Amino acid sequence: MKITLSHITKQFAQTTAVSDFTAEIESGHLIALLGPSGCGKSTMLNMISGILPVTSGQILFDDNDVTDLSANRRGVGLVFQNYALYPHMTVMQNICFPLELQKVAKAERMERAMAMAKLVHVEELIDRKPSQLSGGQQQRVAIARALVKNPNVLLLDEPLSNLDARLRIEMREEIRRIQQETKITTIFVTHDQEEAMSISDKIVLMKLGVLQQMDVPQNLYDSPANCFVADFLGNPPINKTTGVVKDGGIQLDNGPLVHDDRFTNLKDGQRVTLSIRAEAATVTNENGNVDCVVDTTYIMGKESLAYVKLGDQRIRIYIPADHEFGEGSTLHLKLGKRGVFVFDETSGDRLI
Amino acid sequence: MMDIAKIKQQEKRQRLFDKIKPFGYLAPFAIGVTIFTLYPIVNVFMIAFQENYNYITKTYDSIGFDNFAYIFSDPYFIQALQNTFMYVLIVIPISLCLSILIAYLLNQKVKFKGVYQTAYFLPMVTSTLAVGLAWKFMFNYRSGVINYLLNLIGIESINWLQVTTYNFPALCIYGIWSILPFTIILLLSGLQNIDPLYYTAARVDGANEKTIFFRITLPLLKPTIFLVLIINTISVFKVFNELFPLFNGPGVSNNMFTVVYYIFYQFRVRMPGEYGYAAAAAVVLFFIIFIFTMIQKYIEKKAKE
Amino acid sequence: MQTKHKVNISISTIVIYVLLSLGALVMVFPFYWMITGAFKTAVQIQMFPPLWIPTSFALDNFQTALSMAPFATYFMNSVIAMIGCVSCCSFTTILGAFAFSRLDFPGKNIVFGLLLGLMMVPFEMIVITNYRTIIDLGVYNTIFALIVPFTSSIFYMYILKGFFDSVPTSLYYAAKIDGCSDWKYLWKVMVPLAKPSLVTIILLNAIATWNSFLWPMLAVSDPSVRTLPFGLYAFVSEGGAHTELMMAASTMIVVPMIILFMFARKQIVNGVARGGLKG
Repeated sequence: MKITLSHITKQFAQTTAVSDFTAEIESGHLIALLGPSGCGKSTMLNMISGILPVTSGQILFDDNDVTDLSANRRGVGLVFQNYALYPHMTVMQNICFPLELQKVAKAERMERAMAMAKLVHVEELIDRKPSQLSGGQQQRVAIARALVKNPNVLLLDEPLSNLDARLRIEMREEIRRIQQETKITTIFVTHDQEEAMSISDKIVLMKLGVLQQMDVPQNLYDSPANCFVADFLGNPPINKTTGVVKDGGIQLDNGPLVHDDRFTNLKDGQRVTLSIRAEAATVTNENGNVDCVVDTTYIMGKESLAYVKLGDQRIRIYIPADHEFGEGSTLHLKLGKRGVFVFDETSGDRLI
Repeated sequence: MMDIAKIKQQEKRQRLFDKIKPFGYLAPFAIGVTIFTLYPIVNVFMIAFQENYNYITKTYDSIGFDNFAYIFSDPYFIQALQNTFMYVLIVIPISLCLSILIAYLLNQKVKFKGVYQTAYFLPMVTSTLAVGLAWKFMFNYRSGVINYLLNLIGIESINWLQVTTYNFPALCIYGIWSILPFTIILLLSGLQNIDPLYYTAARVDGANEKTIFFRITLPLLKPTIFLVLIINTISVFKVFNELFPLFNGPGVSNNMFTVVYYIFYQFRVRMPGEYGYAAAAAVVLFFIIFIFTMIQKYIEKKAKE
Repeated sequence: MQTKHKVNISISTIVIYVLLSLGALVMVFPFYWMITGAFKTAVQIQMFPPLWIPTSFALDNFQTALSMAPFATYFMNSVIAMIGCVSCCSFTTILGAFAFSRLDFPGKNIVFGLLLGLMMVPFEMIVITNYRTIIDLGVYNTIFALIVPFTSSIFYMYILKGFFDSVPTSLYYAAKIDGCSDWKYLWKVMVPLAKPSLVTIILLNAIATWNSFLWPMLAVSDPSVRTLPFGLYAFVSEGGAHTELMMAASTMIVVPMIILFMFARKQIVNGVARGGLKG
C-alpha cells in the first residue's frame, strides 16, 4: 500500500504541530519518522492512523482518499509506545480482540492469532496476562495484535523507547524481520537516529512540524539538506564551526583560514557554518587544509578521539592510535571528500 | 479496496452520531440528578423565601424573609442550633483524639491486625438504628450494663434516657462511638502515607518514640487531621438518626431537637407540614455546611501547594 | 543495658496490645450485647448485675419477633430496594463516568464543576422536595419510592470517573483502531478493568441502602413496603416490644452487614479511605 501525504497541516488551539507536510511512502517500505521531541512526528503518525483529524491536506492510501475516514475504516495497525495491551485479557485474547470485533469465526480467529503469535515468537506465552510478560514480549504481542487483521499499513509510535538498551537492539531487528516477512508498509516514529538509520528504508526527518528531508539513511548522512539534518545525524555529533567566506576560503571566527578547492565558488563576505564530521578530517604530513592544535586526546582502542583547536573553536577528530601527539602539538588537517558541509549561517541552507 | 462513496456516507452518519452519543450516555445519570438533586435544591431555596407557601396548591402570598424570621424566633430552632453546635463541639475533638491514638496503635507492628480492624470498623457498616437500640439497652437505668460498670467503680446509676440532663451526654457517647471507625480509617491511611524513612532518620538522630510522635508523625499527619475535622464536622452536623433509637425522637421533653430533626419536624411531624419553615431551616443548614466545605477546599488547596 | 532495653520493648508492646484490645472490646461490645440479648429470656434481660453469657441459644425471641411484625416482608423489601438501588445506580454511574471521562461534549467541564458543587448538598436538605416529588410521581408508599431517588449518584460517578481517567488513553485508541465502538470498549475493556473500583462502589452503595432510615421513613408508611430499619423502628415505637425481641430484630438487620464486612473488609475500608464515606 502506497501512502501519499499531501500538504498536511495540523493546527492545535495555539500551535501548529505539523505544517504543509508532503511526502510519498512507497509500498512495502519501512519508514522512520525521525525528529527531536515535539517535532510533530507522533502527531503525523496519529493523523495517518486516523486518531487525529487533519486541519488541512490529504492522505491517500494507494489512490483512495482516506482523509475523512475514521481510524477503524482505514485498515491500519498501530503499536503504542506503552503497548496498550488490555491488562485483563491473556495474550491470546489480546491478539484475537481485533478479529472478534470484525466478527471473524472463532476457529479462524484462533488460527490467525496463533499464526501471528508464531510470527512474533510469543506462541509459548499465549495464556499469560500482559503483566506477566517482559517489555520486549509485550512489544511482540502488541505487534501481533496490530498485524492480525492484515492491515494495509503498520504504524509504530516510539516502539522501542520503553525497552532497555540491549532489548532495543534485539527488538529493532525483530521489527525489521517481521516487516520483511510480511512486506507491509510500515511507518515508525522514533527520536533515536541510530534506530532510524539501522533498520529503515527511508528516513523522514522533521523539525518543528516541518519536513526537513526524506531520503535513504546514507544519503541523509552524506548529503544533508540543511544544517539541522547534519546536526541531528551522526555520532559523535558533527563539528560545527562558524566563519566568514574570504579569498576562496573560510576565515573561522577567532581562528585560522580554511582552504579548500570547494570553497572557491562561495560569495566573499558571507557568514557561514562549516560543519565537519569527525571522520572527515585526517592528519597529514603534507600541507593540509588547515592547521590545528591538540587540546585533549582519549584513546579508544584502534584510534584516538582528539579535541583539537582551530583558534578558539574546538572540534573532534579521529587520529591513529599509534601516533603520539602531546597537548599543544600542531597538526595539519586534510578535509575528506565526504562529510564536509557549508551552510548559510542564518538560514541553515546547504551551500556546499 | 473499498467503495469510497458509500463509506463517506457512513462516515457522515457516524460523525453526527458521535455528536449526539455522549448525551445518550449521560441521559440516565442526568435525569436522576436533575430531578432528585438539582431541582430539589432550587426548589428548597424558592420555598424558603415564599411566605405562607401552600404545598397542596403550591401557591404563596409573597416573597420575603418571613420563614427565616419565624424559625429564628422559634425556641425549638434555637434549641436545635444550640444542641447541634454543642454536639459538634463535644463529639469532634474527643473522637479525633481517640482516633489518633487508635490509628497510631493500629499502625504499629501488631499481630491480628485483621481482627482488630474488623472490631474497630464494624460500626461503620451497621445500621445506626439497630445498634442504637443496643445502646439504649446498655443505657437502661435499672438493668443497663453501663450503670452496672459505673456502680463497680462507685458511681451511682444514671438515668441516661429518662432524665433530660443526661440525654445529651448519652447521645454524645453513642455519637463518638459511631463516628470512630470512619475517623480511624482516614487517619490510618494518612499514617500509612508517611514514608517510614522519616522515622528511621529521626531514630538515627537519636529521637525517642515520644519525640518522633510529636515532632514527626503529628506534623506530617496535619493535612489529614484537618480534612477529617471538616468532613466529620459536616457529617456530625447532620445528627438525626441517632435520636430515634435512643429517645424515640427529640428526647423525653422535646429537649433534644437538632437542626435536621427540626427540618423533619416542620414538614413531617407537624400536621399539616410547614414546608416554608422546613425549607428555611434547610437553607440555614446548607449555608453552615457550605462554609465548612469552603474551609475544606481551602485547606486541601493549601495542602497541595 | 541490653536486657533493660529488651524489657522496655516488651512493656511497650504489652501496653499497645492492652490498649488496642480494650478499645476493640468497647467497639464490639454493643454487638455482643445485642446478639446475646437476643437469646435471653424476658427475665434474664432485666437481671442486674447483668447476665454476661446467655444460658440458651434457642431462637424463641426471633420467632416471637417474626410473629409480631412482618420482618420477613421487611427483609424482602430491604433486599429488593438494595438490589434495585445498586443495579440502577451502578448502570447510570458507569455510563455517566464514561461520558465524563472519555467522550467530548460541549460544556463538559462546566457541567462537571456544577456536579462537584452539588455533591456537597446535604441529602437532609433536599429530602423536603423529594418527598413531594415522590407523591407527585404517584409512587409514594411503593417500593419504587425507595429506589427512584437513588438511581444516580454524583459521588459514585465521581469516584468511578477518577478510575476511568487513570486508564491510559492509548488503550482507547488501540481499541478504536481495531474497530471497537465506544459501547463495546466500555463493557469489554473499561468495566472489566474497573472491577475493583466497581466492587467498592457497589459495596458502599449496598451498605448505605441497607441501613438507610430517614428516606424509607418518609417515602413509605404501609407495613408491606417498609424496609428493615424503618420496620424495626415502627416495631419499637408502636409499643409492646420487649427488649429481648428488639435485640432479636436488631440482630437480623445487623448480621448480614457483619458477614459482608468480614468478607469484603479490605475493599470497603479502601473505598472509605479513598473517597470518604457519603453521609
